[in-house]
Amino acid sequence: MIKLRDFTFTYNGTVQPALQNVSLTIEDGEFILITGSSGGGKSTLCRCFNGLVPHFYGGIISGRAEVQGMDILRTPPKELATKVGMVFQDPENQLVTSNVEREIAFGLENLGFPISLIARRIEEALDTAGIANLRVRKHHELSGGEKQKVAIASVLALHPEVLVLDEPTSELDPQSAEEVLRLLERLNDELGITIIVVEHRLDRVVHLVDRVLVMNEGSIQANGQPREVMNTDALGPGKPPVIRLMQRLRVKGLKLGKLPLTVKEARLELQKVLRNISRSEFTDDRLYTKPVLKVDKLWFSYGDRAVLRNIKMTINKGEFTAIMGRNASGKTTLVKHLNGLLKPGKGRVIIGGIDTSQHSVAELSRQVGYVFQNPNDHLFADTVEEEVAFSLRNQGSEEAQINKSVERILNQFRLARYRQSYPRNLSGGEKQRLALASVLVTRPKIIILDEPTRGMDYALKLELIGFLTDYCKRGNSVVMVTHDVETVAECADRVILLSEGRVVVDGNKREVLSKALLFSPQINRLAQALSRFGISDTTLTIDEMIGQIV
Amino acid sequence: MMRELRYRDKNTAIHQLNPVVKLAWAATIIVLSLIFDHPLYVMVLLGTTITLLKSANVWREWIPLLKLSLWLGASIIVINAMVSCHGNHVLVIAPFTLPVLGQAVITMEAIAFSAAMAVKLLVIISAFAFVNLTVHPDDIMSILIKMKLPYKSVLVTSLSTRFIPCLIEDMQRINDAYRTRGMRLDTGSWFRRLKNRAGIIIPLLSSSLDRAVQIAEAMEARAFGARQKRTFYKDIKFSRMDRITLVFILLPCGVGITMRIFNYGGYEYYPSLSIINLSSFILLSLVILTLLLLAILPLAILQRRIEFD
Repeated sequence: MIKLRDFTFTYNGTVQPALQNVSLTIEDGEFILITGSSGGGKSTLCRCFNGLVPHFYGGIISGRAEVQGMDILRTPPKELATKVGMVFQDPENQLVTSNVEREIAFGLENLGFPISLIARRIEEALDTAGIANLRVRKHHELSGGEKQKVAIASVLALHPEVLVLDEPTSELDPQSAEEVLRLLERLNDELGITIIVVEHRLDRVVHLVDRVLVMNEGSIQANGQPREVMNTDALGPGKPPVIRLMQRLRVKGLKLGKLPLTVKEARLELQKVLRNISRSEFTDDRLYTKPVLKVDKLWFSYGDRAVLRNIKMTINKGEFTAIMGRNASGKTTLVKHLNGLLKPGKGRVIIGGIDTSQHSVAELSRQVGYVFQNPNDHLFADTVEEEVAFSLRNQGSEEAQINKSVERILNQFRLARYRQSYPRNLSGGEKQRLALASVLVTRPKIIILDEPTRGMDYALKLELIGFLTDYCKRGNSVVMVTHDVETVAECADRVILLSEGRVVVDGNKREVLSKALLFSPQINRLAQALSRFGISDTTLTIDEMIGQIV
Repeated sequence: MMRELRYRDKNTAIHQLNPVVKLAWAATIIVLSLIFDHPLYVMVLLGTTITLLKSANVWREWIPLLKLSLWLGASIIVINAMVSCHGNHVLVIAPFTLPVLGQAVITMEAIAFSAAMAVKLLVIISAFAFVNLTVHPDDIMSILIKMKLPYKSVLVTSLSTRFIPCLIEDMQRINDAYRTRGMRLDTGSWFRRLKNRAGIIIPLLSSSLDRAVQIAEAMEARAFGARQKRTFYKDIKFSRMDRITLVFILLPCGVGITMRIFNYGGYEYYPSLSIINLSSFILLSLVILTLLLLAILPLAILQRRIEFD
């Protein structure tokens, strides 16, 4: 059992407590989901459960915290390791040795277990995590999902009673994330291990858990069974799409039973109340016909391995294009060609009449902006103001023009009050805004974003979508590499699906995302099941669904 | 290139040899290349190293290193030939003077000496590559621990090597981000280029520190340092066959040192190149040395068969 009573923790060198008067009890064998806004204290709370807070980080503490009968103030993490296992966000940075078997042995070796027992525990952990086939593989040969399973196995080998996972799926593609969550469900169901998981994508996990904790500004805003919490306002707009749909239908006067957590539950509820309605078909009337970027018969290889094979595509003015596909399908390699970071092996990339192979990245940056996944990669300067001015100075703009543009963009992205702050001291959301501002300040005609919503909470995601759709409306084009089907359904015009370096589908988002199995949003999966009632199976968004039902 | 130099289990007899044996072989090659000056002996060392790389099926991975060594070798030859004015046989008298050194005089002896040094360097680099490509990094760690080096220091070294490729990826990514912000990294004077590149140091340092904290957290959460005495799951075991192989491997080292004590295997480059006298003793010693250095191959195959049986 985990018990926290009026627990407050403030990191050294900060004034605002990261956790404030947290009182919480977690019973043995529970499956707990912790969610809430970025910087809300979720990771700090997780680190309390295994003593990393306060023993590793240090800070000021008040209140009491007991984990499996041990006071965390008196028990260091190394002693708690056999009681509480912890799996972190980045699969790469938690693997210490170089192959799977040795990784699982690492914790057991540290505890001085005899070799025969280590061998037995390795077997158990490999089988439990379902990775016996990976035993002798080296970490660099594993996918992200496999690495995360290895991290889980290496913790399971210590026979923990509690398993804490801090955003374990945020670095993974949807399939790998699904596999990791299925493993957690099995560990909880079959072995009775208490699971505490931090996750932003609630649609993936909310139906698996016994209880949901919502954290905001260091305190618990809601704590209860999933349905109870989903019925409160603690999560704001960050609820899974089917739940938002059903709540809005209730407001519109539809008499629905219990709140559904999955597409299946929503389908069963709606079947009870739906009468046959006249089928309406959705047409996307916005047509984009002015090409700004053309990729012609593009081939590219890393050594002997062909990564892009005969890619042909056009990006039009004002269009929001999403590039999707499994990991290693060539998405990032393709977009790196769109601003000259990579030059074609064969074929051509033409931007506004300019062949990218003839020009440097710096020259092309006037036309194409590129936002990397991690905003920290964008931060080079000492102040926010300088950071935004950096690109303009590199382009040789005049000082008066620079000052005017910096002022405009800082106001637009609500960063004006931080102008003299050190960029790396900003919060996650502010850094994301600054990264975007530092690219958009030069007003490129095309902006490329590589997995921008990965690990982002819903509020930040909404903010980003707002900026991007507004940018498109002004006649610019957005190209976004993503796995996030829900975001694509909300804001994209067009979807390009890549597989093994080839374009397999290129079309309107409705053509690509509807009637699909893997790349379809929750609302469309629901619509497909309800099509016999006249609901259009090309429905993608909550508004479209409500428009048909009510 | 860093990725290509990573260990991969190619399932050859060499890969399955005891790591201590392979380390001892590489050490023998390095010692011999340092003590022998005679070009024929150095060529034997190069030939046997290449044969072993080929037998271990890591030939392809070694090629980029060979190219790098050839560039290094060419630089050594050019610089040494320009700087060293020793030797009786002058080939070229340069029409310019070098600061401090005066007029550049290129001699045949200086070229021959630097070419021999370049080959020695190639042998040493290849011996390191042999270890890197055929010994699992964790085995190297186990050997160092067996040699009673402090575990924490060994682990830190092993972690640093493991994360070098990650560091290179970080650098590449940050470099890309820098270029997409309009920074020109490949134009202007070398001072300007250096100054421009210096901008990536802070984000690189920051991402490395984040990584270090995350690894430390993960280690702490898995009981690192919980007990005074830790066990080692994969301990390096030493069989009788390993001992026999080790004797055969250390034998050429002993033979080489003895030869040098008795003044064999040396060669005078200055003031004039000595005559290469192919006496029957030299030929015999070259054959014996080659056979002893290549003895690791049949012994590895034999050992594999014994283990298989």
